[in-house]
Amino acid sequence: MGAEPETSDAASLSRRCPRLGGPVTLGYCMSCEQQRPCLKITDCWWETFDIVRYLQDHLPADHFKQLMQARPKPKIASLVELIEKARKGAES
Amino acid sequence: MKTKKIFLSEEEIPRQWYNILADIKMNPPLGPDGKPVTPDMLAPVFPMNLIEQEVSTQRWIDIPDEVLKIYRIWRPSPLVRAFSLEKALDTPAHIYFKYEGTSPPGSHKPNTAVPQAYYNKVFGIKRLVTETGAGQWGSALAFACAQLGLGCKVYMVRVSFDQKPYRKVMMQTWGADCVPSPSTETKAGRDILAQHPDSSGSLGIAISEAVEAAVSDASGKTRYSLGSVLNHVMLHQTVIGLEAQKQMKIAGEYPDVVIGCAGGGSNFAGLAFPFVLDKMNGRQIAIYPVEPAACPTLTKAPFVYDHGDTAGYTPLLPMYSLGHTFMPPPVHAGGLRYHGMAPTVSQLVVEGLLEPRSYGQMATFEAGMLLARTEGIIPAPETNHALACVVDEARRAKEEGKAKVILFNWSGHGLIDLGSYEKYLSGSLKDFDYPAQEIEEAGKILAKYPKPQLLKSR
Repeated sequence: MGAEPETSDAASLSRRCPRLGGPVTLGYCMSCEQQRPCLKITDCWWETFDIVRYLQDHLPADHFKQLMQARPKPKIASLVELIEKARKGAES
Repeated sequence: MKTKKIFLSEEEIPRQWYNILADIKMNPPLGPDGKPVTPDMLAPVFPMNLIEQEVSTQRWIDIPDEVLKIYRIWRPSPLVRAFSLEKALDTPAHIYFKYEGTSPPGSHKPNTAVPQAYYNKVFGIKRLVTETGAGQWGSALAFACAQLGLGCKVYMVRVSFDQKPYRKVMMQTWGADCVPSPSTETKAGRDILAQHPDSSGSLGIAISEAVEAAVSDASGKTRYSLGSVLNHVMLHQTVIGLEAQKQMKIAGEYPDVVIGCAGGGSNFAGLAFPFVLDKMNGRQIAIYPVEPAACPTLTKAPFVYDHGDTAGYTPLLPMYSLGHTFMPPPVHAGGLRYHGMAPTVSQLVVEGLLEPRSYGQMATFEAGMLLARTEGIIPAPETNHALACVVDEARRAKEEGKAKVILFNWSGHGLIDLGSYEKYLSGSLKDFDYPAQEIEEAGKILAKYPKPQLLKSR
């Protein structure tokens, strides 16, 4: 087992993003949601290496916990939320 | 010489879409407050005629003449017998594919983009906005809006916008305005850029921008359009399966297995739902939605995961490797976990009418390469998931000595999505045995964080 690698080493790893349909780096997946990881990051990267341990090592404990416990919202519910948010933004 | 492609005449394009909501019971979609979403809650982003389709339980819904007229640009799409693939695999299986890459944007997406644009136009809408990742949906909507004389605005995730300039050009050629997201044109985009000027964007940000653009248009003439997941999208796509049924009849065969890749569910549903109706009516047929293999230890989607384990392909990992007591238990990874999956597809999994399959990234590209080198068409990368399953099924048919009939949906070509192939061919997408000597730093990472062992539970 080698020395602790720098985050940037892993950040250059690449795979196809099933949501975007093109290649992305792990660095993108780690930060694409407003500097937080994509909710699907473990679903995608587990094939390549132990992403869970990597996240444990590189995320603050509370961020890691939030990521692991996140539950996806149904599409319609997300849309209704976005409509409300946009409405409030337009009013303000 | 045996017939390779089976065509229908333009007169044989189905005149109605099949609505699966007539034949299954669904829980109502719930809003953030936990109460059922009402049509008026969606009215700021969708025209009421499409909202009515979204909730309709009428089994057959007429395809408007103007939509049929535009469908004729590329429909009916051919049904193709994959003789070369069969030969390469030395399988007794008869393999057919419905080829949706013949549409102008090169995928199945216009099957719903055109009717969505049509219904918006009928409702008096002048402009549609949407988000796009790879650009397939954005270009399909741009094409549809051009056909129907509507304005079109597409927020394309920045990272894809930079990677795929030709998608942007396609959209512009059809008259759409395609901008990278986050943009300065919406509050959502500006807020992100203020905090992170170099943001590469995400689908979440792009959707926020598109919804805001629709909601904030004071004229009321702008609406939002979504290319997957929703019921009316699945409905429109059924033209694929309904055509395929006619073509299979001409071929004198009926599929034992129907396969489609399932991201948001629309191309899969398009081919499969008419066959699901046959299955409900007693036909013996296996129907496989195919998705990327997900992290087995962290299956954390709701409901479907608890009840959808019908795949027979259930990789599990020992939990102790994680050592966190708050982790959910290791359930299974065979369900349809992507949160963007169509509720109707998920419901059919729950009911045991569909059997989800999943494949790792490398298997999908290997299958894509095989198909490109046998049938000649370079598949869209997402189509490769279906192809991996097709190859598996064909090999199984050989093992069993059965001349199974396999039908799958070739949802699009990959000619404008070659970036992933380039990565694959250059070795950058390797999942396994990352050679440290080739990529030293990456090798260090993979040595420290080895890939979990994949086990099959049965």
